[in-house]
Amino acid sequence: MPENGNYMIAAYILVGVILTGYALSLHLRARRSLRP
Amino acid sequence: MRMVRVGRWITAIGLVLLAGVYVRALSFTPVEQSQGLAQKIFYLHVPAAIWAEVAMVLVGLASIFYLFTKDPRLDRFAASSAEVGTVFCAIVLTTGPIWGKPIWGTWWTWDARLTFTLFLFLLYVGYLLLRSAIPDPAMRARYSAVLGICGMCEVPFIHLSVYMFPTLHPMPIVLQPGRPKLPGSMLSTWLLSLGVFTLLYVGFVVQRYAVSYLREQLEAAGEVGHA
Repeated sequence: MPENGNYMIAAYILVGVILTGYALSLHLRARRSLRP
Repeated sequence: MRMVRVGRWITAIGLVLLAGVYVRALSFTPVEQSQGLAQKIFYLHVPAAIWAEVAMVLVGLASIFYLFTKDPRLDRFAASSAEVGTVFCAIVLTTGPIWGKPIWGTWWTWDARLTFTLFLFLLYVGYLLLRSAIPDPAMRARYSAVLGICGMCEVPFIHLSVYMFPTLHPMPIVLQPGRPKLPGSMLSTWLLSLGVFTLLYVGFVVQRYAVSYLREQLEAAGEVGHA
């Protein structure tokens, strides 16, 4: 079996960072818009 | 605002379930023998690709209906779906090369599926840039609706490109006529991941829609410039 687990780990970390980062960005934008 | 709270909850549940997908994919799903661990990128890459394409189809449909009805809610939805689609398309275009390097021996090749997907991403970016460049809301909605419809027309080419052109990219193994060519354990992990990406799409779009609505209220009150 090929040894390529590091590519898998990189992809999983990247997807987690992108999705969490976007969720955080939306959270902050919503909070800014809701501020009176 | 209630919609912001609903969107946040859906997103939070989606992110928690995403962690569950990670655990299931990495620990409880068998390793494919010929590709090794890199094949597990499939569980994130394909659901993201499906939602990157569906998001653009929804942008196009909302745009068509907007041009007939001039309902600002449709324009707001199209803008929200486009932004979320851009995020999913970015995931496709980053996880794809990471998967391609160990399997194909190259990060990128200008084959039909990859090139069409890059074109979809550029359409998304163009759509968002167009929206940010036009201050007049009616003109912004009308022009971006036209671009959104063009984007929707590109989506079938992405899906059918592997049938229409010689390509390195594999044929569909789930979204194809007949039964999926995957063992049950892999298919269930993939379906779980698809469900989580669906939840994340809904959560993101609801939040983004609410942000657009709130900004429009502020714009109408003259407190901020256009988004």
